Amino acid sequence: MEIRPILSAMLRNKTGALLVGLQIALTLAVAANAVSIIMQRVDKMNRPTGTDAANTFFVQSFGFGPKYDHKATVRRDLDMIRALPGVVAAASISAVPLSNSGSSATFGAEADPRKVTIEANYFRADEQALDALGAKLAEGRFFTKEEVEFLEASTSRFAPVVVMTRDMAKALFGDEPALGKQVHDGLGQSATVVGIIDHMLGSWTDWDKLTRIVFVPEVQFGPIARYVVRAEPGMRDALMAEVEQRLSSSDFSRAITLVRSQEEFAARSYRADSRMVAFLGVIVALIFLVTALGIVGLASFHVGVRTKQIGTRRAVGARKIDIIRYFLVENLLLTIAGVAIGALLAFGFGQWLSKVYSLPPLSPIYIGGGILLLTVVGQLAVFVPALKAAAIPPAIATRTV
Amino acid sequence: MFSYNLRLGLKSLRRTPGVAALMIGAIGLGVGVCVTTLTVWILMSSNPLEHKNDILYAVTMDNWDPLQPMYPRSPELPPNQVTYRDAMAVFESDIPTRKVVMRKASFVLDPAHAEGLKPFAIVARLATRDFFPMFDVPFLYGGPWDEDQDRAGAPVVVLSKDINRKVFGGEDSVGRTLQLDGKDYKVIGVLDEWAPMPKVYDLTTGAFDWPEEVFMPFEIGIRQELPSSGNVQCWRNQTLNTFGEFLQSDCVWIQFWAELPNRECVERFQTFIDNYAREQKKLGRFERPINNRLSRPDEWMKANEVVRDDNRVLVGLSFMFLAVCLLNMIGLLLAKFLGGAPVVGLRRALGASRGEIFKQHLVEVGLIGLGGGVAGIVIAALGLLGIRRMYENYDALTRLDVSMGLIALGLALLSGLLAGLYPTWRVCNTQPARYLKTQ
Repeated sequence: MEIRPILSAMLRNKTGALLVGLQIALTLAVAANAVSIIMQRVDKMNRPTGTDAANTFFVQSFGFGPKYDHKATVRRDLDMIRALPGVVAAASISAVPLSNSGSSATFGAEADPRKVTIEANYFRADEQALDALGAKLAEGRFFTKEEVEFLEASTSRFAPVVVMTRDMAKALFGDEPALGKQVHDGLGQSATVVGIIDHMLGSWTDWDKLTRIVFVPEVQFGPIARYVVRAEPGMRDALMAEVEQRLSSSDFSRAITLVRSQEEFAARSYRADSRMVAFLGVIVALIFLVTALGIVGLASFHVGVRTKQIGTRRAVGARKIDIIRYFLVENLLLTIAGVAIGALLAFGFGQWLSKVYSLPPLSPIYIGGGILLLTVVGQLAVFVPALKAAAIPPAIATRTV
Repeated sequence: MFSYNLRLGLKSLRRTPGVAALMIGAIGLGVGVCVTTLTVWILMSSNPLEHKNDILYAVTMDNWDPLQPMYPRSPELPPNQVTYRDAMAVFESDIPTRKVVMRKASFVLDPAHAEGLKPFAIVARLATRDFFPMFDVPFLYGGPWDEDQDRAGAPVVVLSKDINRKVFGGEDSVGRTLQLDGKDYKVIGVLDEWAPMPKVYDLTTGAFDWPEEVFMPFEIGIRQELPSSGNVQCWRNQTLNTFGEFLQSDCVWIQFWAELPNRECVERFQTFIDNYAREQKKLGRFERPINNRLSRPDEWMKANEVVRDDNRVLVGLSFMFLAVCLLNMIGLLLAKFLGGAPVVGLRRALGASRGEIFKQHLVEVGLIGLGGGVAGIVIAALGLLGIRRMYENYDALTRLDVSMGLIALGLALLSGLLAGLYPTWRVCNTQPARYLKTQ
């Protein structure tokens, strides 16, 4: 391969080569880190929810005035919703998963209040909630209708039985079986674990304890009532409209303040993440575009300047393929130099980012992927001008420019 | 001479239209992206209380768990809200010239008389009356409640401009009655357009949320035992079966601001709350080391992380992108200028001075910078339009203003000239003889 003459030609125009190399280096540093952040966010937004998120929606009713009867309203609303065709299940629930709003509480495996330190998402729910959320029970059972207590007001009472996620059970009891064990609150009250849910996401999307959830068999006190409704596939949107219409015309001592799908709740909670993905996606796309166009422009320019030189090479016996190869190899050499510096830059930048976000450092996969992509883009970008160069007739060498 | 250089520059750009477009496009993209992310960053970090930055203070007290700080990531910070009992005790101090305790609550508004409107939920801010002058809240009609109404929790409300439009059609509704949760409230004021951004006075639930729709005396919430609709955070193991227990608890849920006009006032007030905390220690509360803070609005925004790390990273990445665009431009310009070196050689041989050549090329570079600036403005405008669309559904962060056009133009010219300097310098230093020989 004719690497030596290419190298010596490059060394004669050091600045030009340096500029392209630096451009490639910076592109790699930016793209690798941006894509790494994008992937983290996409993974975060796509975490399995453990529920039938696509088919569930939530309703919030807000009672007011002296005529409002919370207990009767909840009973009547749930009876009405459950009787609608297309409803798989409907339940009372105190908070909405992935809504960035809800309650948390602290529990312990021992009665000693100082050892009650394990935080969890805290959901009050009735016996149909598991089904209405579409969550999967791994062990034991969910609540029975008889266990569900109707709360009249805010209270520090602890229910006699709880159902929790496996992650919460692990946080409390380690690898020991949790079923049948007692879980304690900070006030000296305790409850029996009767069921374990395989996996579920709780209230706050940025909370590292999102997968620790405790359910208690209670219907939340008024005047706000929340219901979760699970629809048969394809029925969700129609049911949302129907439920809203029926509930808001059924009673004038309350307002229906929300009818919103689980997906919409999650989308709102993740909006900072989805914005970041959009921003970074645009920057990555543009940086590749600019770099590729720059390579095309520079190579085209060189073809123009070197017309006579190329003609001479053709005249003394170089084939078209040799001319094309010259440009491809030249670009490859620049890319190699560029990505070598770029890999270092990317790691340095990644180090800073991981400090900002307190995340593990940049994975080499993204640098490797970036190198591969830059090589392909560079070769493609230089190919068109190289073809033009190959088309220069040898006869041009005989003319003065 | 300038017009001659201008003509030469335009001619040179026209000779290689593709490269010219590429350079202008690259600068435009780089500047456009930078201005877009910068605008969001500037908006997020702008302080709407700048003019009162040295007299307003958010009051915080560390009544938290002796075993762990409120914010494990920033253990030096006390909770960003205060308890009811501490708020009430410290509110008694007459050191601040103005002071406000406040919180949020939701109500159902029943617009019985407005045709076609069903009852709907609203969020109210329950505050003591200094809230309005402290945060420069503008009134369209009427005014705030008086001191007696403040103390007695009189059923009076001030409406936002929006809710007044929705319920009363935008007319002067002072004196009218509004039904909230089935009770009657008298309208005593209507606000003008008001949306401080970020919402510095309460950063606990969304720094870019819209302000509340209805304002009323703080005492109403206590007398009616209204639960907070903001953040409530508790740590101590204590029963909370009644509202009375909740008020006496170590749960934090109230925002507290004080106006302290000078250094001496600040020190006196700091001593006052520190002494209060020491007294409380004797009662078995405030078990952590004394850590009560008076934070100015800018410090408050920082402590509450109004500007997200995301925004910092985006600005950093945008400038790296601009650097790539400029490197791109330098490379193209260098190739272009050196390609024209034979002509330069000829001009030099015919008597043009080095300074003339320099000026000629700088004009060309300036043209590219100007073109890039215009392209940058267009791209930034498109970018901001896209962002507005991304934010408008949820946040108040939609008022992206236009003065950014000037920044775009300036940034483009500056970066264009910077990028053009080296190629211009190179072409000025070419030996005329070398090019003349090959002719």
